[in-house]
Formats: sequence, C-alpha cells, structure tokens
Amino acid sequence: MAPRKSANNGPEPRTPSPSRIEGVSSTSSSPERPVGPLSIPVSAGDREDIKVNNSNLTELKNALDDALKRYLARPELFKQSHQHTDVRLALGWLSVFVAAGTALYGYKVPFGESKPLVWIGLITYVVLTAVQSLYAFFIEGNVIFVGRRKTFSKRIITERITISSKTERVKNSKPPSYSLSLHYVRSTSGGKSLLAKGKKLGSQGYNTFFDGVGTLNQDKFERWVGELVEEAMEGKAS
Amino acid sequence: MFNEELKSLKRLGFRHVLLQVLNFASVIASGLMIWKGLGLITNSESPIVVVLSGSMEPAFYRGDLLFLTNPSSEQYRTGDITVYKIPGQDIPIVHRVLETHDLVQKKKDKRAGLPAQQLMLTKGDNNAVDDVDLYRGIDFLEKKHIIGKVRGFLPYVGYVTIAMNDFPQLKYALLGGLGLLALIQRE
Repeated sequence: MAPRKSANNGPEPRTPSPSRIEGVSSTSSSPERPVGPLSIPVSAGDREDIKVNNSNLTELKNALDDALKRYLARPELFKQSHQHTDVRLALGWLSVFVAAGTALYGYKVPFGESKPLVWIGLITYVVLTAVQSLYAFFIEGNVIFVGRRKTFSKRIITERITISSKTERVKNSKPPSYSLSLHYVRSTSGGKSLLAKGKKLGSQGYNTFFDGVGTLNQDKFERWVGELVEEAMEGKAS
Repeated sequence: MFNEELKSLKRLGFRHVLLQVLNFASVIASGLMIWKGLGLITNSESPIVVVLSGSMEPAFYRGDLLFLTNPSSEQYRTGDITVYKIPGQDIPIVHRVLETHDLVQKKKDKRAGLPAQQLMLTKGDNNAVDDVDLYRGIDFLEKKHIIGKVRGFLPYVGYVTIAMNDFPQLKYALLGGLGLLALIQRE
C-alpha cells in the first residue's frame, strides 16, 4: 500500500483503501462511503498546460472553474448536470431567432403593414431576455458545477453536489481570492432516506495556484478541491 | 496567435462553443431589436438617418446624424424639415417643406379619428429650385411618403456610416473583429 503523503510533488496513484476511512471516527456510513475525487488519480497524459493572463480576474476564475469541472466530471466521479447551461442556450438562441425573424420580416414588408407583427416580435424578445436574466440571477446564481452520482454497494446511493464559486477582490494587501461553496447530499431509496449532508466553504488566493506568468498548478488546485469535496462528503446526516 | 484560444475551445467542448457564438449572436440580436423598437416608438421606418448631400447647408452638412419622429397625427407646416422617400427610389431625401395643402377630410375619416391628408412641396435650403423634378412624376408629396420630421441632430457622427458605405471592407473588418472578440472573450 503506498504511503498517503509523499515526499515528492508529482501526482501519486493512491488506491482507495477502507482503512483510511475507518481511521475517522465520526462518519456514520463509512462502509458505504463512495469514492472521493482524491482517490482517483489523474494520469499525467490527461494534463495540458493551462496558461492565462493573470491580470484578468475573469480569466483566472474561468480557468479555475473549468479545471474544477474537468476534475470532478471524470469517470467514476460525478456526472455533470448541464441544466443551467442548456436553459441559457435554449432561451438565448430562441431570442436570437425571434429577433432575426422580426428584423427580416420588418425588412421585407413595408413599414405600415409590418407594425403589428414587429410589435409582437419585440415583446416576445423582451420577455425571453427578461426570463433569461431572472433565471441566471435567481436560479443559477454563482453555481458552476452540479453533479450527480449513483453507486451500487448494498443499496443504490444517490449523491448530489452543487458547487458555487466567487471571486473576492483585492482588499488592502490581501490578494484576490477564489472562494468555493460546496453543498453535498447523499441519500438512498430514491432520495427518501438521507445518509449524509455536507456544506463546505473554502477560499484561497489566486496566487496559490497561479505562478508569476499565469501557469496553473493543476495538481495543487485539484488536491485542494478534492480535499474540500471529501470533507463535504464526510458530512453528518441531520 | 490563436493557438491558445483554439486549444482551449477544443478542450471546453461543443456546448461552450455554442455559448460563445450565442454571445455574439445576442449582441447583434439586441442591436436589431433596439432599432426596431425605436422605429415602432417613433412610428418611423428609419428614425436615425445620415445626411448624404449638401442640399440643406448651412443647417445640415454631409455627415450629420438626424433624429426623426413621425406621429400619425402630425400635421406638417411650412418650415418643417422632413425626410421623405419617393417610391421606387432607395435614398431618403432631407429637405424643408415649402407649401402644404390640407385636403378636405371625408366625414367618415374624421369620425374614425384619422388625421387629415396633406399635400406638400419641399425644397432644399441650398438648392436653387424646388423638388418637383425629384418627385418623378407626382406633383406633391403625401404623408405616406414622409419618413419623419427632424427633431434633433448630431454633427459629424454620421461620417462613420458614410465611410462604411464607401469602403465596404471597413464594414466587414469591423464585423469580423467584433465576431472574433465575442468568440474568444468570456464574461
């Protein structure tokens, strides 16, 4: 069995070992606990160098968001739910087509006759845009990853994790930081019996993961995310 | 130069590409809708026009931007500056109203609340003759030919449109640049 903490910095394959979990006394469901992201190694071949402009906060956040999604959506781990993206795509493209259709109609038909239908097209477009904005603000919020997983040990265990991320801007001499908020639920019997529920917050400065030229230290970031997720997975049933 | 961006696009997947194209498309869509909305509110098919000729100097010069409205109850008077389009001609003309003749309104139209029809003659301030030759056969303009009455203007701003019409490469370059920017940026 390979030692858990290694002296070198390279990614080290770790096999999921029950003894690690039994060492922690407070989990109520340790024999059934599904595999956490830290236990599944990332092969070096999967990694491409990521380099961003580290003066641009948006690019930094997007790079970390994308790395997190890639890390947690690996096989054996969570299956990402694309609902928020799909709703935004559907509403967005629909509004684009309505706008294009209205504009084309207004171009072909003389002005006076076109007025009623152009009014309808315009109102439809405004409504669609409003719904899109409301959805993004109220329902999507800061969420970047929604994942589900079903594991079959003794019973069918369903897990659901929702992760939101936020950039905290520079304050006095504190560097800008990336703040994650995880919400984890593990249940069985089709969601009726709650096995575990965890909420975890974590925050690190961007300078922890990005070097001076903007290269992302993916291994370090993934380890941090993996630890947060596994801590959320330890959550007690309430 | 685009190697990094192409790599990241491939890595991020199809949905992401759709999102980026949507960004660009929705900027264009909102521009179109704002234009159409403006047209509906002002009741004018083209509420913002650029002066193309010098026929209204010294009031308006080539390259000025004009703002029009065309409320259906408007009765035009001598001295109003109108933009009109002769059917069959593409180019709108901006000239001043010289004469108006209000037609007697039929009783049923008056009861329906429709505004009275008018016949108008126009002339450019800087022209020697009135516009009868420009009308191509008809003697007077009717309300239906009028795109709108000038309410305000901005000097020089219209030169951008004139430049883009005279040099279409500029138009494509601008559109291409905007498209590239929208596809690569993420907000």
